[in-house]
Amino acid sequence: MNQLKLSLKSAVYILLGGLSLLALSSMAEEKKASAPPPQTNGGIDQESSFPKIASGKWSGAFLADGQPDVQGFWSNTIANHNNFTDPQGGIPGSGRAPKTKREQRAPSRVSDPANGEVPFQTWALEKVKEFQAHFHDPVEQQWVEPLARCAPGGIPKSFYWHGYEIRQYPNYVLFYFNSGTRLIHLDKKPHLPDNIKLWNGDSRGHWEGNTLVVDVGNHNGKALFGRTGEFISENGHIQERFIFSPDGKRYNYEAVLTDPTVYTRPFTVTIPARRWTEKDQPNGWHFEVGQAKHAGKQVILESEERICAENNAAFGMGASTQ
Amino acid sequence: MIVFSVDRIHPTSRVRQWFALTAFVSMALIAFNATAKDDIPRIKGKPDFSGIWQTTSAANYDLEPHSNRKDAPPGPGIVEGNVIPYLPKALEQKKKNFENRASADPATKGWTLGTPRGIYYPEPFQLLQRAQDLTVLFQFGHSVRTIHTNGTQHPEDPNDWWLGDSRGHWEGDTLVVDVRHFNDKTWLDGAGNFHSDALHVVERWKFLDKNTIEYKATLEDPQVFSRPFDISVILHRHREKNFQLIEDYRFTLDYDQYYPPKPDSK
Repeated sequence: MNQLKLSLKSAVYILLGGLSLLALSSMAEEKKASAPPPQTNGGIDQESSFPKIASGKWSGAFLADGQPDVQGFWSNTIANHNNFTDPQGGIPGSGRAPKTKREQRAPSRVSDPANGEVPFQTWALEKVKEFQAHFHDPVEQQWVEPLARCAPGGIPKSFYWHGYEIRQYPNYVLFYFNSGTRLIHLDKKPHLPDNIKLWNGDSRGHWEGNTLVVDVGNHNGKALFGRTGEFISENGHIQERFIFSPDGKRYNYEAVLTDPTVYTRPFTVTIPARRWTEKDQPNGWHFEVGQAKHAGKQVILESEERICAENNAAFGMGASTQ
Repeated sequence: MIVFSVDRIHPTSRVRQWFALTAFVSMALIAFNATAKDDIPRIKGKPDFSGIWQTTSAANYDLEPHSNRKDAPPGPGIVEGNVIPYLPKALEQKKKNFENRASADPATKGWTLGTPRGIYYPEPFQLLQRAQDLTVLFQFGHSVRTIHTNGTQHPEDPNDWWLGDSRGHWEGDTLVVDVRHFNDKTWLDGAGNFHSDALHVVERWKFLDKNTIEYKATLEDPQVFSRPFDISVILHRHREKNFQLIEDYRFTLDYDQYYPPKPDSK
């Protein structure tokens, strides 16, 4: 009994020590993350580097059903869908060269392989180059970015196409994106039959400590990764990890994309995201929320309706009709 | 161990015992009845409408009573009094809409169905509920409508929305939702019944039992209708094993074929 007491006491000390270390490391992460990034894109680029977040225990609040509570407003921190592998480098072929050197800008969203490039098979790389060459002059249908036609952003583009809201319910995590909606099922249902293919795929997830682990099947492969035209096909498979920081202020999205019909090997996509709250200034890209009207003094943030169903044209056309 | 025999108990105690027993049985019966009557799921005391729901009515084909036609089954209608009280000019527009419905119905283009049509369109929708709001996720278009139940009010000078701005409150076990600030791009059904951006809808959601919701709505639009009118449908819970929504982005079908890129030989 005494031994047990001692070991419990030691365990408490070890736990406390561990927590302080975690707290310290999270402070270090925050300090690192708060270094001023070069601003190159009017508030869309938020930072040019970001901390790594380790999978581990969740030390924040839990919901009644035992899920870590990560509800609220989120957005990626390294620019948008202009360019998948050089996120702050602008759209290739736009005639506007980046104002900074490559090493001053955020790293490629491809974190493995180390060269930051999608390991495309030769034919697929040719298709990507064709798309890039015709992006501003899409004289054939396949060169119109489907998002410009109101198609859902899909995976992974939805995570850097505007900010979004996470809502949680028993057995579900809902991603309310700017274009398209994803419902992650946590109830261990099997995937849909394989012949059903969807813009956002069919998502099955579970929590491992601070990490939401999601398996995506039934993906139709139609959403491109950005204005640079990278893609996966309907034969692809995506395994995602949403790793939340101990303070609940950030998460890193890490996904392994596998498609033997398009790539030479699986590769990893990493997208950093941070939470936006009532303490943040409004941001037309990352934080498009309103304040609810009510009798109390508390600030209540609300997403506005996100519906796009009318565009059916190339880049720029949609914007001009809005 | 001491065992009391009945005749050792004082007569007054026996009466007390009888009362106590009767009271206990009555309370148990009341509790049982309450449980049986109130066998509905709840969140923080309020009815929990979480689940996947769908109507079996033919309302989407025409809100008013109608015979069969090539593009619709017959239906008794869901309008109280059977007839939508159109203003004369609006009735002309409704007739035109009906004639042109094959191409003019926004639903045939895959556009967002609107409120209330999304509720009785013949595809499932999912309700996801928290204390502060209900999220309505429609399979058709995978569009999201939020019904706020946190005491907040309609915004003062908002945009017009496809699904309107929804503010709900509880009246007993009935969820009452006031919906305003619509655009005029949606129809009420596939028969050309329509509204303007002045539409105002008041919905009443109530459990009939744990797997059935009674949905009622009052529609008001002084630019289109001569007076408010009421509609009512029953919504059934999907209980099939592993049932789920399957995203239905209908409006992408015209260009689906162009993506993703394929090797030239294929």
